Amino acid sequence: VSANGELRAGGRWLGRSARRVEDPRLVSGEARYVADLTLPRMLHACFVRSTEAHARIVAIDVAAAEALPGVHRVFVGEDLAAIAPLVDPMPFETLLKTPQPVLARERVRFVGEAVAVVVADDLYLAEDGAELVAVDYEPLPPVVDALAAMEPDAPLLFEQHGTNVMYREADAFGDVDAAFAEAAHTFSIRLHTNRCAASPMEARGAIAEHQAREGRMTVWSSTQNPHSVRAGVAAALGMSDHQVRVVVPEVGGAFGQKLSPYAEEIVIPWLARELGRPVKWIEDRRENLLAATQSKEQVVDAEAAVAADGKLLGMRARYVGDSGGYSFNATCGVLVEPQVAARLMPSVYTLENYAYEVDGVLTNKTPIGAYRGIGWTAGHTARELLFDMICRDLDLDPAEFRLRNMVAPEALPYRSCVGANYESGSFTESLQMVLDAVDYPAFRERQRALRDAGRYIGIGLSPWVEPTGYGSRIGAEMGLPGPSHDSARMSIGLSGKVTLITGFVSHGQGHETTFAQAAAEAVGVPLEDVIVLQGDTDATPFGMGTHASRGAVVGAGMISRAGEKLREKVLAIGATMLEASPADMVIEDGRVHVRGVPDSGIGLAELSQAVHFGGVTAEDGGDDPTLATSAFYDPGGTYSNGCVAVLVEVDVGTGVVRFDDVVVVEDCGTMLNPMIVEGQIAGAIAQGIGAAVLEHAAYDENGQPLATSYMDYLLPSSTDVPPIRVLHIETPSPNTIHGVKGMGESGMIATPAAVCNAILDALAPFEPGVPELPLSPDNVLRLIDT
Amino acid sequence: MSKRAIALRVNGERVEALAEERRTLADFLREELELTGTKLGCEHGACGACTVTLDGVAVRSCLLLAVQAEGREVETIEGVGGEDGGLDRVQRALMEHHGLQCGFCTPGYVMSIRAFLAETPNPTDAEIRDAMTGNLCRCTGYQGIFEAIRSLAGEARS
Repeated sequence: VSANGELRAGGRWLGRSARRVEDPRLVSGEARYVADLTLPRMLHACFVRSTEAHARIVAIDVAAAEALPGVHRVFVGEDLAAIAPLVDPMPFETLLKTPQPVLARERVRFVGEAVAVVVADDLYLAEDGAELVAVDYEPLPPVVDALAAMEPDAPLLFEQHGTNVMYREADAFGDVDAAFAEAAHTFSIRLHTNRCAASPMEARGAIAEHQAREGRMTVWSSTQNPHSVRAGVAAALGMSDHQVRVVVPEVGGAFGQKLSPYAEEIVIPWLARELGRPVKWIEDRRENLLAATQSKEQVVDAEAAVAADGKLLGMRARYVGDSGGYSFNATCGVLVEPQVAARLMPSVYTLENYAYEVDGVLTNKTPIGAYRGIGWTAGHTARELLFDMICRDLDLDPAEFRLRNMVAPEALPYRSCVGANYESGSFTESLQMVLDAVDYPAFRERQRALRDAGRYIGIGLSPWVEPTGYGSRIGAEMGLPGPSHDSARMSIGLSGKVTLITGFVSHGQGHETTFAQAAAEAVGVPLEDVIVLQGDTDATPFGMGTHASRGAVVGAGMISRAGEKLREKVLAIGATMLEASPADMVIEDGRVHVRGVPDSGIGLAELSQAVHFGGVTAEDGGDDPTLATSAFYDPGGTYSNGCVAVLVEVDVGTGVVRFDDVVVVEDCGTMLNPMIVEGQIAGAIAQGIGAAVLEHAAYDENGQPLATSYMDYLLPSSTDVPPIRVLHIETPSPNTIHGVKGMGESGMIATPAAVCNAILDALAPFEPGVPELPLSPDNVLRLIDT
Repeated sequence: MSKRAIALRVNGERVEALAEERRTLADFLREELELTGTKLGCEHGACGACTVTLDGVAVRSCLLLAVQAEGREVETIEGVGGEDGGLDRVQRALMEHHGLQCGFCTPGYVMSIRAFLAETPNPTDAEIRDAMTGNLCRCTGYQGIFEAIRSLAGEARS
């Protein structure tokens, strides 16, 4: 593969809904997650977590805990003082840093921050010990609201900075003032989006074992990014990265929450080294809701300038990210919410005049990190709610308003005002397809008729564009510059089967299937002849992790490149063995033969044996006949798109929302496996429904979290998620191998807006204001009352 | 901690063990018997990942103590499978309809669906949705799980 786009799917394996290779072990309970692993002499750790949102630690009394039979040791922050505090790695000069000790020292900044760790013979005893650790806090005034945290007299989380605003940026494109001056109408919205928790069904966890005599450390962790954990552990423990091995067993979901190395993932290996025994930590649900990163909370002030004919002339927006107690040691720190929201605001629209301000603000709450769709969700929701507000006020049709302001097919490729290069897409087509699928004119008629009968149905339309396939290029376009790439190694063994080794790890995406499809396609072997190895930093090439909708684009690309090289090697060697020209050779179903003469061919096992033991080389006498290759890929920028429509009926007596229909058209370019694409879409839409009407990681005015179990943090259940109809358009990317665009986050970016707008549309006769989120029955009723 | 001798049947085999009185059935199965297919997602009875059957009834093993299983018949995911040592029809249907992604909740679903279909062999869509409220899946949006159950509705029990 020498140039982008030379290979296209529609092949033998790519594009097929191949059943998943990983499923048999998962459905049978044979799969091993980190909690399922046990090592000889293993001890168990339980963290003692802050009960205060903001306080000085006066003293910690561990005597009673250490006296408990079965408890080995209790460690506090001072014991780990040699470990450098964690800071976010973003190379932004103006980004202030918030050093976070791996165990709190002197100060706690959110409820759930780890202040001590108890190590015992078993988990029950460790938890007993944790109960006995007495922490004496001197409370400090907490600041729980991001806007309040920006006030001049607000309590400070890091006095050395003199402010709680860790990042501030502004930018402008076009002539915004002129756009507002000439506008026939201006509108504004302040939307406070609800804080969410990614809440993978498997919480976090890690086991570490120190091999003292080898000078090595092995860490088993439930992570999306083993090489990043390796680097974090190595740096913290004063080791070099080749001395640290990170193994990722089965991962029970992550959605961004397990993207970055956590303090706990550093404390556990430190304990293993200190105690000379393996140590295991498995997070429970309460801990996960307290201490694992949360997401999606911003205050977005957006204004729109609109011409008399409904043309969008310009926008201004300010994004205040409520970032919690630290600019977390995550990929983007406080930038992960407001910064990315600002950069994607133009979305699928021809917005030429746009100005934004971004503030990343600390509060005494759990730190913010990545969760599917990151800060795009909040920005997207604010914009789409503002657009429907405009439509209600000007009596414009929301579909027509969007089509009028959307990047037209003939305008693609299109460069948005902030510099995002939409290389191809189906913006208007996907909206039109959704409208057809729900029979939009008939819906509006039904809506009018039902309103007369005292029933309230509504529709929300939410078109999206999603920056995907994270390579270096898209990072730069989205305001988060930095390298992003991955590599694949591929080989053919003595049995003629293909082994693919990748630095990516799957946490539900089905890489063992889709990556094998890409390898089978590239080499020319049956799918079942490919094994995918992942999740062990000792064995895999450096990888940047499974996140940001990059696995399909980067993965399929690097595999195709490596596979193509391998195929060429096989063809050259096959040509020697069959005394033919390599140009006449093909590989099909694991056999190499002269084109059109399959019966005369040889199997890859025979060929491999000949290479390894028979001295056979390619005719051109290459000095490396081994059947192994590797390849690197850093894709061009690519944007997927689509549109989701949500149809609801609202019971105006109870505030209960019933979902009548959800239709989504997605265009992720060439699909590797449509079944897996549809699964990703449905899962993300369910999460979007949860964020819209159920989920809220709420805090009281003292910074005490109010949702610390699934009784209060409400995940969508089987009765909350309606049938979801998934339709496809495939507009290949000219910028990536096979024309693949990334996907997986869009449902979570676009669905909350569609749900909220559907509810607001249903309630239009009541002239609803800006909603409080999530739109629980209480908050729905508030829209009717006001 | 005080322990108590218990005897029960697990996946058809008689088990005698000393169980710590406070140990949950889930931890007993996972740690004492090394049957780690049963998962713990919340440990407060909300997510259903730990579902096993107790005398044929689906229960949450995180909310039961091991000592409460004294004299009872417990079936875990490890006890489920076709006669040839392969997968049973619920497991196959979940695979066929992409009813799982990360797989962490899946053993619990298999146990819940089997118990549900044993009682309600031909459920309506509404019955399926109601019956599955005791299990949470964060990956699939439930679509593939519903499809899998629907595909089994009306089939004779295997």
